[in-house]
Parts: sequence; structure tokens; C-alpha cells
Amino acid sequence: MNKAINKTNNNSKRTLSLQAQEQGYVISFNAMASPCEVLIQTKDHRLAKQVASAVSDEVWRIEDKFSRYNKDSVCYQINNNAGQSMAIDEECYLLLNFAEQCYQLSEGVFDISAGILNQVWHFDGSDNIATKKQVAAVLPLVGWHKVSYQHNSITLPQGMALDFGGIGKEYAVDRGILLSQQITALPVLVNLGGDLAVTGPRLNGLPWQVAIESTEYTKPNSDNNKEIIVALTHGALATSGDSKRFLVKDGQRYSHVLNALTGWPIEQAPRSITTLAPQCLQAGMLATLALLQGKGAEQFLSEQEVTYWARR
Amino acid sequence: MSYSDTKQHNQHKKTNLKTALSMAAGALLGTGAIVHEAKAEILTDWQFDSAFLYYSEAERVTAAEIIVSANKTFANDEVLNVKLTIDSLTGASANGAVVQAQAQTFTRPSGEGQYVSQAGNTPLDDTFKDTRVQLNAQWTQPLAENYTASIGGHLSKEFDYLSLGINGNLALDFYKKNSTISLGFSHFQDRYTPIGGIPKPYASMLIGDSNSPSWHEDFAATRIASGDNKITSDVLVGFTQVINRRMITQFNYSYSMVRGYLTDPFKIVSVLNQAGTAQDYIYEHRPDERKKQSVFAQTKYHFDQGLLNSVLDFSYRYMWDDWQINSHTLDSTLHMPLASRFGKASYLQPHIRYYQQSAAGFYRPYTFVEQVSNGSSEENFISADYRIGAMTAVTLGLKYGFSLNNGNDFSVRLEYYRQMPSNAGFDQPSELANLTVYPVVQAVIFQLSYSFL
Repeated sequence: MNKAINKTNNNSKRTLSLQAQEQGYVISFNAMASPCEVLIQTKDHRLAKQVASAVSDEVWRIEDKFSRYNKDSVCYQINNNAGQSMAIDEECYLLLNFAEQCYQLSEGVFDISAGILNQVWHFDGSDNIATKKQVAAVLPLVGWHKVSYQHNSITLPQGMALDFGGIGKEYAVDRGILLSQQITALPVLVNLGGDLAVTGPRLNGLPWQVAIESTEYTKPNSDNNKEIIVALTHGALATSGDSKRFLVKDGQRYSHVLNALTGWPIEQAPRSITTLAPQCLQAGMLATLALLQGKGAEQFLSEQEVTYWARR
Repeated sequence: MSYSDTKQHNQHKKTNLKTALSMAAGALLGTGAIVHEAKAEILTDWQFDSAFLYYSEAERVTAAEIIVSANKTFANDEVLNVKLTIDSLTGASANGAVVQAQAQTFTRPSGEGQYVSQAGNTPLDDTFKDTRVQLNAQWTQPLAENYTASIGGHLSKEFDYLSLGINGNLALDFYKKNSTISLGFSHFQDRYTPIGGIPKPYASMLIGDSNSPSWHEDFAATRIASGDNKITSDVLVGFTQVINRRMITQFNYSYSMVRGYLTDPFKIVSVLNQAGTAQDYIYEHRPDERKKQSVFAQTKYHFDQGLLNSVLDFSYRYMWDDWQINSHTLDSTLHMPLASRFGKASYLQPHIRYYQQSAAGFYRPYTFVEQVSNGSSEENFISADYRIGAMTAVTLGLKYGFSLNNGNDFSVRLEYYRQMPSNAGFDQPSELANLTVYPVVQAVIFQLSYSFL
């Protein structure tokens, strides 16, 4: 796809801001409805610029290709092909494969075809929870097992839709890291709206300091309000949670994490979970799968021997 | 993509999920499943460690201690640690006099009043009471690649004691950080102003009517000063070696030089007649210099498959000094993680310690009239303090700890300590034959620790 076209496709302007700091460069841009940044530990302006455009172009490319809102996207075309088979490329096939694995591992609770449930669930902080009738009406349109795909094509039953939102950002983080490593051996951190990864430690083996933001809607004076600072030397951190997206009715809080099998929000899930993994895709999926365990989220992660931080 | 496939997959879900995700991500990214292990640890504005420790000797000293330690890590791995310790001691402490078949009367260290030790009991001075406030600050930072430096200050205050100290340490990592050499020094300057002042070595303890008009004058004649000083300098060389993924070893050598007032102003020595009956009590006298050296070796081994995934820590220390004290310390803990539940990780840690010490060359459990009258000169050092006599000691303990969901840690420790002094070849007069000249000291130690962010 042509970059110039991409720029006109998007409402927000695709600009990079490069800022020299004592330790190197900070590159900021917006993508996937999130503030994004790339940190690179170098004094070389040209190199910083090269890494910056490589990473941001890749993130925007992935956004354009897999956003379900963008009418030129592969995702939009899959979702609007009226039950007909459609050709897909290698990258799309690999992403679908990853989604398939996650579906299997979660026993069907995580499902990239569940995005359609957002037609009846609006997590805007109100008490406007969906009715059983509404959920029952859309639930037949959810179910990854109804999708058939091969190496070069996919067929989606009419009315169903895929949403790469649960994996796209993490994928873009990992792609950004791989591209940076191809350009330079210097330390780079890629942060897309809080999901992030590093190429390795900073110079002299020093760790990167990463803040895990506190959830906004917590009780005052509770420990949950505190920002946690993590020293990261290798790997990735991803956060899954409902800090801003939830419903409250009759004192019960409904998280935006939906069980794809029932169409209803997961009960008693932590407000957010941050996990550590070698790559951002794993970190993100571990956090999501943990949230889907509800009450047992922490136990699930402990059993998997995952380093995590949970807020309830 | 049927549900039966799903079920098959999920039979191994608990153990294989992380691996399965790694493989899936590796396939998508073209990196394969083998990638660098992720590593991150939590940092905060301030991390606090707090502990409450209770130490109680049977019929003797009881100590309660509160420790609050705060750590802050700065952007470039500089670490500031500030630690406050407050402890309070109460109870009775052996005054050095030997047990007798009859009651014994002693004058309190202040010279104000007397106390009586019952027949057959080890004489204990029950006026032992003190509160100590201790403040330590330490700054550690990387200097250059592979070099880490640390400096610190120390202040400790009791009502009759002031200690000021500084320390410094330099560590050099090499061989891909698998080896570390460290060099450290510390220097302490202490001022001791004991209640009742510094007694004159070999002077007889004044015992009698403390209401008599000449009492204060007579008591003052047994004193030489109101206070004295002590200087301690330590040098330490250490070597740490990572043997492999499971094993790490450490070796230390330390040299310590203490100069100044090393005598205990509250300790006396019984002067016996040939039969073993106390005729007099004289104030002890120790050299004004002590050179101590020690070697220390420690190994930690992580049994990652067998033995409950536990970590064995074993150490040995040999200490020797020019007072002819030498000691062996064997110390071992086994850290055993327990099955984690509800996101809480817990562990059990048994502890065993064995200590053996020989007596100082000038240690005497008591002395005799003839020996004192023969030469009470400056060169004749003497002390009946059981802490520098021959002994063995054993500690047995168990610690249980768990981490809470929010990353805070809690632990509780219970230990039993038993100190068994022995006779280092001193003749025992007939009157002492049926008495316990070398009493066993027993203590329990209870500690609660809580670390929070």
C-alpha cells in the first residue's frame, strides 16, 4: 500500500516527532488509537530517524491492513464479502493461525469473531447492560469454528466479522522490535499505548524503566492507585484490562472482557493484568487469557509461572 | 476446527500453554520459539522492608527490635537505602562472677544500691536496660561498565554509647559478569560513657553500706574516667563466582583492627580462696587492641528439577584473633517453595547453625587470691565474660513466607538458640564441684517481616 494514501485514510495526522534527550531519542506518534513511542539509545540523529520511520511505517501499515474500521483494509474486506471465499496473503494467514491457536488454548473463550458482540455491549461506564434477548440475537454470529480458512483464502459466513484488535497491537510491537534489530544493535524500546518490548538492556547492561499506569477508576487511597515502575532488561510487557471500559448495574461491575461462548462479560476479573513474556504477542495473550479466567486470573498466571502484576 | 480438537488440545493446557503461545508467536513472527528469556523486576518510588524481632533468653535478656528499611532505585540504577533500627533491651545479664553455694551481694554499676544473687544461681545484674537507635544510609551506583561503587554512613546512639561509622565498597564484574571481585572498608568511631564511669582494672568492687558518708568517695576511688573511646577499622576482599545456572559461590577474607577501650565496664571476676569461696570481686581488664581475621565461603545451589525446586545455602566461616579466640561457624538454610495458591507464592525455610569458639588467652572463669596479689599489673589481662570463653552454640529455626497478589511479601521466623559453654581446662575448686559454673543459655527468636511498596 502506498504511504501517501494511508495518510489521507486516517483522521489523525500521521506525523512523527523526534526529540533528542540525554540518553538518546524519543520518537512519538499516534497509531491504533493510542499514543506510541520509540526510544533509541543513540546520539546519531540519522539513525534515530531511520529507526523511527521504519517502526512507525510498520505500525501504520499493520493498522491499515487489519483495522476493521478502515474500508480499504483486508479485515474490512473479509468482513464484507457476503459469505464468499476471499484470497489472503501469507501475513494474514499467519495472523489467523495465531488467532486459531489462541482460540484453542482458551477453549473458545477468546475468539476474534466475537467483535460483533460490541453491537449489543457498549462499555461506556453506564448501567446500560445488554438484555439476554439482544445477546441471544447476535451470538449465532460468533464462533471461530464456523470460519474456514486455508493458506491463501478465507470464507466467513455472512453476517460474521473478525476483529484483530486483541492481537494486532502486540503483533505491531514485535514487528517494530524485529525491524529495529535489523537496522541497529543499539538498544530500542517500542511502546504502543502501553504494550511494549525492548531489543535488550540499555547500554552497560542497565534496565529500561517502565511505568505500568494505575487504573483510573479505583477507590481512593487504595494501593491500586500507585504506579508501578518495572526495570525491564529483556522481553515485553503487555497490559489487558478494563480500566476505562466497563458497565455498572446494581453494584455489579461488568468488565469489557467478553466470554465469546456466552456473549456475557467475564465475572470477577481483575481490573487489569500486566504480564512479562519474551515477546509482546505472548505477553498480551497471557494477560488476556488470564482475564478470561475471571476470579482465577492470578492463579492461572502463577501456575503458568508467568511474571505478572494484577490490579483488582 | 471442531470442539473435539479443542478438547484434545486442552488436556495439556496447564503445562503447555506458555510453550504453545511461544511457538504460535514464533511462527507468526518468523523468529521460532526460541527467544531470549524475558527479564523484568519491579521498581518503585520507595520499597519498604519492615521487621519486628523478639529475642528472649530464658531468665536473662529480652530484646525487642523494630527495623524499617527503605530502598529507592533511580533511573541509572543508583540505589539509596536508608535503614532505621530501634531496639530495646531489658532483663538480666551475667556480671562475670562465678556461682557460689551461698548468696552473693554486688554493687550496681552506677554505685547506687546493691543486688543479691541467690545461692546456686549464676550472678546476674538485673539492671540491664537500654534503648538503641541506629541509622544507616547507603548509596550504590554503577561507576562505569562492570564497576559498582557504594558508600555509606552509620550512626548509633544508646544513652551511654555513641557510634559513628563510614564505609565504602567497590565491585568489579568480569568474565561476562560471572565473576565479581569486591573490596570494602569500614571505619567506626565509638564513644562509651557508661553509667558509673570506667572502673579501674583489678580494683575491688566496693560492697557495703551505700548510705555511709564516705561511700561516694570510696566508690569514686574505683573509677578512672567517665568515658573512653574505641576505633574499629575493617577491610574486606570478596570474590563471587557463578559456577553455572544453578550454583553460585562466594569467598571473603576480612581483617579487622579494633583499638581503644575494649573492656566491659560492667563485668567483674570472682577472686576465690583455695576452697573456692569468693573473697573479692575485681573489675576485668582486657587489652586495648584486637586484630581479627576471618575467611568465609558460601555456596548456593538451586535444585531446579528434584528436591522440590529448593535452594540450598551453605556457608562456613573461620575467625581467629590475637586474643587467641578462634571460631568455626557452619550455617545452612534450605529454601523450599510451596505450591502457589490463588496467586500467592509461599515458601518454607529451615535453618541450622553450628558455632564453636575457643576461649581468649586471658579468659578465666574466676581467679585466686594468690594470683591477684602476685601481679595486678597492666599486662595481666583478665575477664570472666562467658562470651569470650570456650563454647558451642546451636541454632535451629524455621521460616515461612508468602507473597501477596500486590507483590508485597510477608514472613515469619521462629528459632531456638542454645549456647553451651565448656571448661577450657580450668581447675575447679571443691566448693564449686556441685554447682553449674558454665550455665547453658537458651533463647527463642521470633521475627515478623513485611516488605511493601
